[in-house]
This record gives sequence, C-alpha cells and structure tokens, in this order.
Amino acid sequence: MDKSGDAEAILDLQPKSSISVAYHSDFGPHEDLLLLELDEKLLPDVLSERVSLRGEPDEEAVFCTQSKTYAIKFVGNSNSVFLIPPSNSSSFPKNAMDCDEQNLDQPASASVLKVASGNLELVEVAPRLDKLKLLLSQKPFTIEEMSEMETFLESEEQSSVYRWNDLIGQIQASNIELRSGLEALKALEINGYWRIIDENCMDSVLNMLLHNAVLNDWSLDALPENELVSIMESDGFPPKISNHCLKVYGNTVDKEDSVSLWKLNEKQVCVHFAKRILNNGKVKKDKFLAEWKNKIPNGMQASFEMLEGEVLTERIGVEIWIHPFSVSSLPSTPAKRFSILFKERPKWEWKDLEPYIRDLKVPGLSSEGLLLKYTRRSQPRPDVEPIFSAR
Amino acid sequence: MGPIQVKCNCGENNCQEWAIIELQGVIEAQPQFQDCLQNLEIGRLCRPSSQETYTFTIGYHELTGSKVKLKKPLLVLKKVKHSDEEQRVCSKSSPAVELDVIGIIRQKILFKTRPKALISSSKKV
Repeated sequence: MDKSGDAEAILDLQPKSSISVAYHSDFGPHEDLLLLELDEKLLPDVLSERVSLRGEPDEEAVFCTQSKTYAIKFVGNSNSVFLIPPSNSSSFPKNAMDCDEQNLDQPASASVLKVASGNLELVEVAPRLDKLKLLLSQKPFTIEEMSEMETFLESEEQSSVYRWNDLIGQIQASNIELRSGLEALKALEINGYWRIIDENCMDSVLNMLLHNAVLNDWSLDALPENELVSIMESDGFPPKISNHCLKVYGNTVDKEDSVSLWKLNEKQVCVHFAKRILNNGKVKKDKFLAEWKNKIPNGMQASFEMLEGEVLTERIGVEIWIHPFSVSSLPSTPAKRFSILFKERPKWEWKDLEPYIRDLKVPGLSSEGLLLKYTRRSQPRPDVEPIFSAR
Repeated sequence: MGPIQVKCNCGENNCQEWAIIELQGVIEAQPQFQDCLQNLEIGRLCRPSSQETYTFTIGYHELTGSKVKLKKPLLVLKKVKHSDEEQRVCSKSSPAVELDVIGIIRQKILFKTRPKALISSSKKV
C-alpha cells in the first residue's frame, strides 16, 4: 500500500481517517509558481506544448494557442488557498529526513508549499494585428527592389524588414491569426521576409499583366498562368511577383486539363484604379467617374457601390465630391476605430457606417453590442433613418 | 524576443495532480514561529464518514467543508528564468524565460463555514 503523503493523501483520504497538514519544508512565497485556470478544451493544446506567450517586454503578454489569442488576467482570492504538491514531485522533494520517518506506523501527512493569493485566467481577445501593418509598412517593397530581387544577397541583417520568426515574437496573435492578417494585408514572403508591396509596384505589375493580356488576346476571365508568368518574366517581372498579382486581383478557374487559368476579379481591379485616381485627395464625383471609366480594362464595368468602405461622399455647395477613406487604413480595435470614424464625420447613417465596421470582431460582442457600446443612436422622427454619433 | 513556449514534461495524460485546501480567512502562526514556518504543523484534516465531508482542526478551531470538483482545472506553472550563462550557450533564439506546466488541480477541499470553537483541546483521531 503506497503510503505516499501530500496531494494524494489529501485527495484519497479514506473514511474515518485523518492526516496532519503542515507547512512544507520548502514553504515560502514561491513567486515563480502560478496557477492558471484553463478551459478543459484547451488542456490538450497546453499539455502537448502547442501554446506560447507572446508580446514585447513592454506589452501585457497574451496566451496563444495555434488559432486563438487570450489576454491573461490575475484574479485575486481573499480566501487562503493552500497549495499541496504530490509527494513524488521532482520540483519539491521533501527532506530526506521525512522519507526515513515514513514507515507503516507513521500516519500520512500533507505539506503546504505555498499560499496562493489568486490565479490567472484567460479571456479570449481579438488578435492585435494593427502592429503588423505598422511593422510591414516601415519598408514597403518597391519597383527598385523588384528589379534587384533575383540578385538579392543576404549580406547583413536587414533593418525594418521582418521574418516569420521576428513576427511571432512581436505580434500578439496566434499563428493562424497571424497568417490571416498577412493575407489580409496582401503581404508576400520575399527572400524570407514578409513584405507589403507598395502601390506603385502593384500598379506596374497589374498594368503589365493587362497589357500582355491585350497583346496576346487573352480573355481576362481565362488567363493562362504559365504563359503569362513566363512572358512577364521576360518583361522584368519575377514570377513570384506575377503570381502574387494574380492572387491579389484574381481567382483560379477550374479547368479539366492541366492548364492553370485565372479570372480577374472585376471589383479588385476597378477599386485599384479608383484608388490611383484618388491618390491626390478629393475629386468631383462626375469628373472621377469619367476618369475611372477610362482607366479600367475593356470589358469591365465599374459601379460606385464597389467603393463602399473606400470613399466618402460629401456635398459642397451644389457639387458632389468624393475623397478616399479606406477601412483598411483604420485601426482594428473598436474604441480607436469609432473614435476615428466620428472624427471624420460626427454623424453617420447606418448604410454609410456599416462598411466601416463590418470587419470589427470582438469575441463575445455582436455588431449590435458594438453599436450599443460605442455609439449613440438617435432617430429624430420615425420616418427618417437613424443617426449614429459618438457616445 | 521570441515567444515564450509553455512546456510540459507530463505528456497528455500524466499531469501530476496537486491538491488545494481552501478556507476563508487567514491562518496566523504564533509570533515566535512567524519566521520559520517550515515543517510547522497547521492542523489535522479528517474525513469522518464515507461522505465527502471533511473537518479541519486548527488550534482550537474546527472547520467543516467538502471536496469540490473545480469547474475549470487549474494548471500549476513554474516560471523558469535562464541565467545569462545558459543563454549564451544555448541558441540565440532561446528565450530567457520559460513556463513549465508541473501539475494540475481538479479538486479542492473547500471550507466556507464559520469555525467552531472546540471547548476541549482533545485531538480527534
């Protein structure tokens, strides 16, 4: 009969028996010992070592599984919580003396190693990806770099550019959320570094792609990947970049034979050209529409609805003007997002506001909840649209 | 600084179970023992019957409580700081701090009633 003491003795205490509870020979504050409350469903990830803490020393660490991010909060407990280790705990062996004393006549005893003042608990949070955009925007990939891509030599540590391993140390997000974030930014891994491609570079690649489609009489709904990439390469565009362009502006088409085909996405392409026109700020709407129609590829139709979440319209005098205001340039945390939205415009109708908050995701908060929390809703008369303003 | 891995030597089903005795209030040792609590007896835990009720006798007070299953398990984590020397020896990417899972707690003995003062100081067996 195993007469081991400690945790087992407590938990397996038999009816009509008792044990002595004493302070452990190593009793103390043990500030390096922490209690973490965990959902049962997260246990397998922790026990198979698939979780990590992420963040810089000046940030509050977050707890990341492969797919989710959690804030760590300490919850104090005013009760006295006596922590009792198992007796064969390798970290906290009892004195050799105790072992000698343990014989069949000696009743079992349990030792309190530490009095815990509380425990940590996890709260699911949205991944903190704004920093990712900040870091990758420090040095966007340019046309000049593209021309030097093939001859790139890693001679020394590059500054302001980041590898995957750098990102997981600095961005408070799980691996899957980080990859999602990179995809949302249309980032590309070039020579081991994750890069955002600058607007001018993307524009030159797209224009060359469209130019080649015309030259070779290819339909924009069925671009042959291999031929296109190969021709672009002879034009000075590395295959990696051409492929990325296809992914950003198009979708693959299913085909029976082994030829890989791509269909350009009308909205992605049209929005690209709209943004180019708006690079210099606000434009009169009809002037913009005329210029836009000229710039987009033959066969494509642009509609103003494509620009929701990208431009705002205002009436100045008798004229209608539009200016660029892209949701992708706004912070992803709700408080900051709403603050910027209301700075831009103090009052919003739902149909204008919706595209700018559609992507906000807060675990545990619905979109109604978000509106309730961050906006003031007013409806002066039942027959007019409700207006949202700052709280 | 890279991510801090949470390590576990226990394997999926082998996490050692720790125990918790929880009571309201604070236990104070007599002044002469304050600085060397190690090995000092706190009290006696007793399970009088086959029910999961327990008594804890501390000094001349007796608490009554029960064994409770935790709604969510608690993991016992140990923060391990690597010395600078170890860091230099290991690869550059190994972090200075590691978090090890050294145990799990699924049940506790919880005392939440007012202590009963024992008139005589006879120990329960």
